[in-house]
Amino acid sequence: MVGEALTPELTVDFACAFGAWADGGPVVIGRDTRRSSPMLRAAVTAGLMSRGCEVIDMGICTTPLLSFAVRELACAGGISITGSHNDAQWNALKFLGPDGALLNAVKGEELLDIYHASPCGATPPAWLAVSAPPPDVRERYVEHLLAAVDGGAIRRRRFRLALDFCNGAAGGVAAEFLGRLGCTLVPLNAEPGGTFAHPPAPSPENMRQLSRFTREVAADLGAALNVDGDRIGFVLRDGRALSEEHTLPLAALGRLARRPGPVVVNLSTSRMTDIVAARFAQRVVRAPVGESYVVDRALEEGAVLAGEGSGGTVALPAGMTFDGLLTLGIVLEGIAGEEGGLQSLADSLPRLEMRKGAVECLPDRAYRALEYFRACYVSRQPDFTDGVRIDLQHAWLHVRVSNTEPLVRVIAEAEDAGRADRLFEEAMALARRAADSARGGVG
Amino acid sequence: MRPPALKIGISGVRGIAGESLTPRIVTSFAAAFGTWCGPGTILIGTDTRPSREMLAQAAVAGLLSVGSTPVCLGIVPLPSLQYHARHSDAVGAVCVTASHNLVEWNALKFFGPDGSALRPSQFAELTDLYHQGFYPRVRAEDIRETRTDASAVAKHRAGVLAAVDAGLIRSRRLTVAVDCCNGAAAEAAPEFLRALGCRVIEVHTNSAAPFPRNPEPAAENLEDLCRAVAESGAAVGLALDADADRLAIVGERGRPLGEDCTVALAADHLLGRRGSPVVVSLPTSRLVDEIARRHGSAVHRTRVGESHVVERMHACGAAIGGEGNGGVVVPAVNPCRDGFVAMALLLEMIAERRAGPEEIRSQWPPYAMVKRRMPCRARDVAAFLRLMRHLYRDDELDLTDGVLVRRPDRWLHIRGSNTEPVLRIIAEAPTDEEAQGLVQHALTYLRSPG
Repeated sequence: MVGEALTPELTVDFACAFGAWADGGPVVIGRDTRRSSPMLRAAVTAGLMSRGCEVIDMGICTTPLLSFAVRELACAGGISITGSHNDAQWNALKFLGPDGALLNAVKGEELLDIYHASPCGATPPAWLAVSAPPPDVRERYVEHLLAAVDGGAIRRRRFRLALDFCNGAAGGVAAEFLGRLGCTLVPLNAEPGGTFAHPPAPSPENMRQLSRFTREVAADLGAALNVDGDRIGFVLRDGRALSEEHTLPLAALGRLARRPGPVVVNLSTSRMTDIVAARFAQRVVRAPVGESYVVDRALEEGAVLAGEGSGGTVALPAGMTFDGLLTLGIVLEGIAGEEGGLQSLADSLPRLEMRKGAVECLPDRAYRALEYFRACYVSRQPDFTDGVRIDLQHAWLHVRVSNTEPLVRVIAEAEDAGRADRLFEEAMALARRAADSARGGVG
Repeated sequence: MRPPALKIGISGVRGIAGESLTPRIVTSFAAAFGTWCGPGTILIGTDTRPSREMLAQAAVAGLLSVGSTPVCLGIVPLPSLQYHARHSDAVGAVCVTASHNLVEWNALKFFGPDGSALRPSQFAELTDLYHQGFYPRVRAEDIRETRTDASAVAKHRAGVLAAVDAGLIRSRRLTVAVDCCNGAAAEAAPEFLRALGCRVIEVHTNSAAPFPRNPEPAAENLEDLCRAVAESGAAVGLALDADADRLAIVGERGRPLGEDCTVALAADHLLGRRGSPVVVSLPTSRLVDEIARRHGSAVHRTRVGESHVVERMHACGAAIGGEGNGGVVVPAVNPCRDGFVAMALLLEMIAERRAGPEEIRSQWPPYAMVKRRMPCRARDVAAFLRLMRHLYRDDELDLTDGVLVRRPDRWLHIRGSNTEPVLRIIAEAPTDEEAQGLVQHALTYLRSPG
């Protein structure tokens, strides 16, 4: 949270450490539209320059565009200054390696070790000023996105799209990309700015305004991007908002038909994707929760698609981070041949019932709570990759410790509501007891 | 590894950029300064050192974090920044410059809303905030936007030109050589001189190039300027340091007059018009006393450091003051050392008297000054000074700042630097040999163990 834990000093030190990690090579930086982002940009610039890095500033820019720039400009890394899907008072740094992907677990540990050892050091500044990127790098990104989708099929449909930018960074490239796909863009909350019209996560409760707007402007579909453009959620022509869990299976329907291959999801992601992949006889591999795990695993598996239930999805190898615009392109490609548009694609998805909940639990007690859980479920062959996951024939359950908040999260999904409720309620009751027992004396 | 070289003192927060002066320290100090100043705009300028952008960005981050509005002036002469602070609604100003130090050094200097450097007591308040870590951050929605402002140099130029008889100077059509050390005044100084009708011979006026020489405008660093004066037949050579707050003069025959002469000549010129006390720091040439005596004015001496001089000037209402390092202060124009003010006064003097600076200087008895430096950790300074006190116990001593040994026609001064881990040993005597002898005598004892 800016003003509290996230100080410019901490930012300077992390940027110093990243500059050392990048061996003083060129680093691309970009930021979202949050009010605190220019402050963090200044701190990041100072830290990187102190390690002798050339700093190439993309200005306001989405994380996927930054990822493209890292690869296109052959840089040693990138830093995206963005609170992503979090509310306006939050902010964060996302570190990208030379491949354009978020640092994986091993690289992330390397960075932390450098940070803890000695954040700053004696490198004479090699660069007198911040560099500007080549002026056509955005244009090249749009070309890159266009090359990844079947533009001919999309152009024939002349889609009318309502797009909610949440006052974020994606506006410029989106207009260019969609314009060249023959779409008419009807923008909502397109003014980049530090105050957001609604919380940025593309969930149905945050897409109410877009739902109305999509109906009012008679768009073929609506889509909501988060502030740094890595997540996307969809609204049907009739204004019905789809859960962000639908983004990945919709993309899978579009992509796997044209380019078959494995799909990587996380342990909490809906089975909708598994069922879609099975229609194309493709494997689904599960990784721990978090973009860096999912993308890292996707590279290892040679996957063509990766994503999470958050609306973050990427088609590989075109993208190396979750990319809302690329995902939109792939979904448009998927509905290009469908008379009924997004509606018929959504109708073809399996209907599953998902329940999500959380129980408060301090981080230093969370492991003990999970242990309790494991003991209770030991007879049901749990998977311990990330928390506890139980796979049943018609349902599954995942209990894990949040990466970002002092919570134990419970997610259950089943083919019918009754089964989902039972599984979920049982797990929530257990979770509360587990948290209580963990809160108690040293046991 | 080199010994730690961070120096927090009244001349600012100084160190080797990226090594002892880390961006983290700069960020925190800027945050503390923003807290000290309170809400409002804070100007930021830099000289041309390669670490300028790194440290300016760190300062911007710190200022934004406490709710200040940073206004970036870019590369700017320090006196222009200070002038602008006084004539704008800024609540303070920060300059990223290590002035005369070598290129790998840099520093943060802090200024109040009137453009003068923080007084010692104000600086103590700032360091207290820094050391206590008391710089409350604002919430994200209260973070301001950074602004830029390119008007400082022109405003400052107009202010200085209005303080002299620019018409008279222009009428002389002087040829002037200027050496800016590729520093912050590389564009501003030649432009300023042209505005005074001068034909300008430019020496080291490329702000994008590295420092061509040691930025200290001491005689031994001014070979190129001396040659330019001799070759062009210029009326005067002007040497600025990297942030243009100090001026050294090369005479019409291509010989450096020594940095001490700048404040002496400026005083001679100004005191000819109006009586005023003169304030200089301890190790400033006796020439100033001779000149003040002839004009019937008193001389006040202070500890070394611009803020000490300016504070005393304020207290005694002095119209002119400065230091032996080439710094000249005329509070009516700018309450700080100002190389542009010094240039304007000197040119006005040349125009009025129709004489070159060496000719003007020759009316006064000769003095030779010798300056040496000896590496010395801060913790050892006191012991060395005790040794000197003991060595010169039979002389008249002034202990205001280090040890000053006073003899009828000469003096010797030993003190710890405010800005670097060195002892400074300075002597002045009628001849160079005599001054060298004084310094050597002290050094013999300083270098011997114990």
